[in-house]
Amino acid sequence: MANDDVLGNLTLTEPFDFCIIGSGAGGGTAAHVLTAAGKSVLVLEAGGNPFPGLDQSAPLPFPLHSNDELKYSLRSFIKQDPFLEPRTFRTVTSDAGALMGDVNTLPKAVGGAFQHADAKTPRFNAVDFHLKSAVEALIARTPGLTVPGFGADAASANFADWPFTYADLEPFYVEAELLYGVQGDGDNIYESQRSHPYRMPAGVGMYFALLLADGAKRVTVPGIGALNPHTYPAAINSRFARSYDPSAPDDRPPCVDCGLCSGFGCPNNSKNSPAVTTLRRALLSGNCQLRYNAVVTRLIFNGRVVSAAEYVDGAGNLQTASAHNFILAASAIESARLCLLSDPTGPGLGNASGQVGQNLMFHLQNNVNGFLPQRVHGQRGRAVTHGISDFRGVMPGGEEIRVFTDASGNPRVALGGICEFGASQGQPITEDGSVYTQQLPGNLGLRFGIHLKNAIRDGALGQHLLGLTMQAEDAPQRTNAVDLDGRYTDVYGRPVARITYSSHAFETETRKFYLPYMKQVCAQAGVPSGKIFVAPNDYTLVGPPSSRHIMGTLRMGSDPAASVVDPGGRFHDLDNLYACDGSVFPTASGYNPTLTIIAVALRIAHGLAGTAPAT
Amino acid sequence: MLQLKLPRVPAGSGAPLPPEWRWENDAARRSAVVLLGRREFLKAATILLAALAVPVTRARRALARVRGGFFTAQELATLEALVDRILPPDHDPGAKALGAAAYIEGLLTAFDDPGRVARIFAGGPFSNRNAFPDNKKGKPSRKRPKNDLKNFIPPTRVQELRWRAELFGSDQVPGAAFNDAALGGPLVGLRQIYRDGLKKVDDMATAMSGKSYAKLPPAEQDQLLVLFDAGAFQPDARRGGLTFISIVIEHTLEGCFALPEYGGNRGRRGWKMLGLEGDNQPLGFSIYSEAKDGYNERAHHPMSTANPDELRHGVLTPRPISTDASGIQDSIIMLAGLFGE
Repeated sequence: MANDDVLGNLTLTEPFDFCIIGSGAGGGTAAHVLTAAGKSVLVLEAGGNPFPGLDQSAPLPFPLHSNDELKYSLRSFIKQDPFLEPRTFRTVTSDAGALMGDVNTLPKAVGGAFQHADAKTPRFNAVDFHLKSAVEALIARTPGLTVPGFGADAASANFADWPFTYADLEPFYVEAELLYGVQGDGDNIYESQRSHPYRMPAGVGMYFALLLADGAKRVTVPGIGALNPHTYPAAINSRFARSYDPSAPDDRPPCVDCGLCSGFGCPNNSKNSPAVTTLRRALLSGNCQLRYNAVVTRLIFNGRVVSAAEYVDGAGNLQTASAHNFILAASAIESARLCLLSDPTGPGLGNASGQVGQNLMFHLQNNVNGFLPQRVHGQRGRAVTHGISDFRGVMPGGEEIRVFTDASGNPRVALGGICEFGASQGQPITEDGSVYTQQLPGNLGLRFGIHLKNAIRDGALGQHLLGLTMQAEDAPQRTNAVDLDGRYTDVYGRPVARITYSSHAFETETRKFYLPYMKQVCAQAGVPSGKIFVAPNDYTLVGPPSSRHIMGTLRMGSDPAASVVDPGGRFHDLDNLYACDGSVFPTASGYNPTLTIIAVALRIAHGLAGTAPAT
Repeated sequence: MLQLKLPRVPAGSGAPLPPEWRWENDAARRSAVVLLGRREFLKAATILLAALAVPVTRARRALARVRGGFFTAQELATLEALVDRILPPDHDPGAKALGAAAYIEGLLTAFDDPGRVARIFAGGPFSNRNAFPDNKKGKPSRKRPKNDLKNFIPPTRVQELRWRAELFGSDQVPGAAFNDAALGGPLVGLRQIYRDGLKKVDDMATAMSGKSYAKLPPAEQDQLLVLFDAGAFQPDARRGGLTFISIVIEHTLEGCFALPEYGGNRGRRGWKMLGLEGDNQPLGFSIYSEAKDGYNERAHHPMSTANPDELRHGVLTPRPISTDASGIQDSIIMLAGLFGE
């Protein structure tokens, strides 16, 4: 080891039982399960460490996170920096793609991207795990029903059932909600059966969210009736950690609703991100070593066996680490990219199916916004406290798909997604000033001067903007993919990732269906009629999706010809390589993916360890 | 998180700029100045002046370094005048009084003291501006943390490389030029951009109004700023098409509203002007109470209800917003409306 960027047990020796690439929701979770089972684990994390003392047995110190707009939103303290690691984007494979500032970048730091999110953790619905069969069955028994991407149109998409059911995954959801301390009031009627209640009640609701929730109750949708707002499940403490988990390594405090949540690290460790939950447990077990600032450049393999990970350490030196087994958990884009980087002259590591990097999914984010006359003070709270799941388009209980009747009397389905009730977080530079001065046309006269000052002072956006964000399911398509773009390199000399992404009619038709109702929710929340608008979507703007829900690319399935990893997470083509992040998702559902990433990682890791989930 | 998405529209005020000051003609003008200078140099007794000019500039820069700065007194005056027209003083302080120029200088000199951690990432987790919560009683305690924000966090190797490239230019930092050829040239450093930009501002001000920018009355400064913004500076392809003026605007906003630990937002008056609390950890806006096994909110900074100053006898009475603010909202709605949804 050439430098001291290391946490955990330094006396562990190579080869490790497992080498995990990535320390976030997937990797941190797997590290905990494997170390608890006595396996020696090396975690390689590409980013730095905002959690000094994470491995010390004394009480967990506070991290380096803070209420600092500059550090997070403008200076990429923990976010992947587009200068250092650019990506290119295109909508169709016939274009070469162009370098763009921020192409779906996620944070790179010990504990992964979750620490930077607002930690929203709903489960998927039961029907999500066999959506393909369910839609096909529905089409078969419903005369006149067509669904984009299914039936005669099936070739335009690449839907697949998951290789296990919701019931199979449910015990792991239970463990995920325990390890990651999920709060919620259990008031979402669309949630599928759960065998354990939420670990603690939902915290205080935000003002604008309560207005939107009240508004939603007054909106009626044919086929649904009045909408059903609910508290938003989140892996954020509303109680001390040991009140719901006596075995928690630290009695981390309840959230204080400091407001800088989405896009920020948590200063008081009340956000239950992987660093302070599962990674912390792994590091305290004595069986884990974590090397950070360790950027894996390739996996070294021979035939069906990976022998080592080659990485650049924090000092810039090339190192290798050997292990008996390797687990990819670098997030869907980077895990797939690593497979391609590891086999520069071949099809890509584990790519006999030809689907490595394909079926990339993001969720189609649909935003309907409005300006309230009064101040929404979105800087107080957890970014999102309430939402509706009616627009997921399933029946209560989440077992069946809802069939609507369209304006012409024909049956249709509309599989959208959960709607977050959101608002500006009151960030004066990025949510007010920069928008007025750099994004709006200069001839508005707001580039500088007293007019600019007046607008900022009133928080025209930062204190008045609210709205709904629907995290709508997007169809898996083989042409939506990650590949390598050798025209540009990252700072480590590796070809950059190129993202190819176009929306499918499956999600754009759904968008059209729900937009009018989303507008009605804004109106009923008190937004004057002239102050409601639909934000143009990313695809219309010909830019990369701004969603940070990144899924697909290493599809999980039983058939080696049609998937990359098997139901246990192991690559079909390799004996000792696994994946356990969002990359393995066959479909995207319409709910924030993190809890399901964790549950799937738990299922894979317990399978490897031969252990059972905790309750 | 709710993110506003808008189509990108080219910035700039669109006012007519004399053609000789348009960025397209920079190269031509520069060579003319050089020629002219040489002729003068040969013709007359400016030899002495020219000889002095170099050490004077050098001495000024040395002086700037001694006071921990980057700008000469002249550059600083120009920059302060510029930021003060971007966010001008009225009954609230302008950007100059808020320390925006000092903030910018702090950024440009982030690496100048080798004995000190680079001033890129302020520390964490807390300032000493807010109390710890008392979770037994569900109210603020008397205990305050020490200020960790002023202890800057050392950047990682690649973060340092990235920020050195930002300040000094990608061709000036070993290992930072990796995409320069593919992108048609280096990332020009902010230090160079400010040196050149401030000089051009003063050159233009002198040519058009006979005085350096800082010495002009505010109304003339405003007029000139509109002109500068209308094509005097080349959009920087490696900075997303930003011009020098765009960069100064962005940095002015940062200098007014970022944490005071970065050198601006003096007395936190930037936040006060906006009615924002600023950094509020570890107290936050809700306090869990073990006594009641539930949360208390802060009366004057409520989380779940309207701001107290917008409630009159319990009735919601929104504070009117300026026509500028309302106009911005309407423009955004109009822009979004172009997409017909």
